[in-house]
Amino acid sequence: MASRRPIRSLISTTASSLRPAQPSKCSLVRTAACAFATISPSRGPEYDTEAADRPRWQQTPPKMMAPFRIRPLAKGGVFKVNEDPRKLDDAYIRMLGPGGDKVLGDEVKWLAITHKSFDHGRRGFNDRLAYLGRRIVELQTSQALISSPQENQWPRDSKGIPANDEFGRKPYLHPALNGLQGLTDEAEGLVLSKTRLSPIAERYGLDKVTRWKPRRADDLQGSGIESVLMTSLYAIVGAVALERGGEVANKVVQDKILAPLGFTFSAES
Amino acid sequence: MQRISISRCASQLRAPRRPACPCAAANSVRRSTTPHSHRIQARCQSTVAIPDEGGLHLEIAANSGAAATRKSRPSSQPLPLEKLPSPHPSAAERSTKLHALRSRLSLPPRFPLQALARTLVHASADPNPAFNNASLSILGRHLLGYYTSEWLLCNYPRLPMPVVFAAVEAYIGPKALATIASEWGIEAAAEPGGEVDSGLLQFKRIASGDGLPEALRRQAPWKWNVTTTHKIMRTDEFGSTNAPPSPHALQKTPVPMEEAAQSFVRALIGALHVHLGSPLVKRFFRDHFLSRHLDISTLFDFRTPTRDLSRLCAREGFEAPVARLISETGRLSRHPVFVVGVYSGKDKLGEGAGSSLDEARTRAAAAALKAWYLYKPVEVTVPSSMEGELDTSKWRPNFVDCGEVIV
Repeated sequence: MASRRPIRSLISTTASSLRPAQPSKCSLVRTAACAFATISPSRGPEYDTEAADRPRWQQTPPKMMAPFRIRPLAKGGVFKVNEDPRKLDDAYIRMLGPGGDKVLGDEVKWLAITHKSFDHGRRGFNDRLAYLGRRIVELQTSQALISSPQENQWPRDSKGIPANDEFGRKPYLHPALNGLQGLTDEAEGLVLSKTRLSPIAERYGLDKVTRWKPRRADDLQGSGIESVLMTSLYAIVGAVALERGGEVANKVVQDKILAPLGFTFSAES
Repeated sequence: MQRISISRCASQLRAPRRPACPCAAANSVRRSTTPHSHRIQARCQSTVAIPDEGGLHLEIAANSGAAATRKSRPSSQPLPLEKLPSPHPSAAERSTKLHALRSRLSLPPRFPLQALARTLVHASADPNPAFNNASLSILGRHLLGYYTSEWLLCNYPRLPMPVVFAAVEAYIGPKALATIASEWGIEAAAEPGGEVDSGLLQFKRIASGDGLPEALRRQAPWKWNVTTTHKIMRTDEFGSTNAPPSPHALQKTPVPMEEAAQSFVRALIGALHVHLGSPLVKRFFRDHFLSRHLDISTLFDFRTPTRDLSRLCAREGFEAPVARLISETGRLSRHPVFVVGVYSGKDKLGEGAGSSLDEARTRAAAAALKAWYLYKPVEVTVPSSMEGELDTSKWRPNFVDCGEVIV
């Protein structure tokens, strides 16, 4: 709605004069759960069935598209993103194992690998999923660091009695508190750095299916592909958590992210 | 022998009539003591010999055993308590404050007081990681972040990211945790040391008149334009522009009480998790954190709600929003009231009242956007409810929203 309209037009009862000049396709692209109002909004006379049936991930909303492009083309060339659902399914199967393409719903599958830079965020993006996914991954990493074998346990003498520190104290030692000395922010930062996570994402083929827009299509590294891949990885974890539950998401993190980084998990964890 | 002055004893920290700490009674030869303390010393030496339960190593009191095992101190005198950075773990059993805190928080008696005592020691008080709460606070921070963010994202699936950051900070941010700690009755020691009560929060205070330490001061962001996605991936769960200092890095720095209280609450959650398991932690979180009321509709701050709403309607395929005057009064007076509604076709998306037509239209658009973003499903199962759960029939997949509208 333009902000420069005269006030008189606010009071006008006919809405047609206020609608901005746009292509006359009043299409309705709605997903199942976006009910803004209980009664269905009125559809314009030029109702386009084709645009209405296509899912959100497949097309940018027609009302948000300008009729032609004014800006010059991007330097470095045009970056082509994947449009094929089969390639996406292959990537999910590679990451989540057999049946990995059935774990998430259709829209969510595409949403999880769509970065905010893709299509100006008009088709949705994975920020929120990556936020939740990162919380899950960080928690699982802390727990893995605690239960991983430690080399700097509290020193004990030959009889197994803990030694004193420089003040002559012994700490309170309990089996539950074993392994806490391995949990530091530096250790976590080393484990979850983007230089270690992006090769894992590339191994799963996420770099071929992630939808994003690099700053320069001929220099993906300089445009930050590592960070985008990490976002996609976390977002897939977050999506699995929201759709399938925490148990499945924790297993995905342990088996698909932390195990390639070198952690081992026993059967009951 | 030299008499220790009163200020050195830190006697103002103790209640005047309470018996002296029995560990400190070991140093009574250097102080003029009352006969009272000798009886305390004798009594506590007998209770100190707690049998060694399988796998549990309790630290024996300084005055009874340490003299035999210490290698570094040539004399047989144990180190005075004031020289220790934090109390002995064994002093936890004798601290009434800790007993009271444990029962005040309704924690089961199997939760050891020594673990509770450790959560009260900040890294600035005691640099040894085996005695301070730094590692536990890292674990607790991740737990709190996970439970809060999953609850928020499942109950308010369409919330924009800045509002998510603000809401998470309101629930488990530094100020919130400091408030919670004071609500739990946590008091702080004036100066950390081995002689303070184990139930006091111990941290090194900033000297009066000094500024914040370097590590805690606001740093310049790494770039002038820090994007939301960068904040999600690189910094912390509150959307700060820089990552916060690591708890282990605050070992020698004086800290404000808020930082120490925050580390205590996080460390407590971590300690509960390792000792008592995650079902109890989830109940504790629900009782102490989720029970706090937050009105999320007050956390919004729109700059151009009319434009945002127009792009949102275009994205969702609704008809373009139109603002219409519903009613008005006093147009030519000093206090006009205009009630404007924003309509998409025949449906009213939002309504707002203001003292000018523009204000009313802005409020109406903001109300419409809030109605979209504050959508809340009726029944929600959070992901953590499925952890360790054998019966998965209660699980309902959560609504995943595509994201806030980008203009």
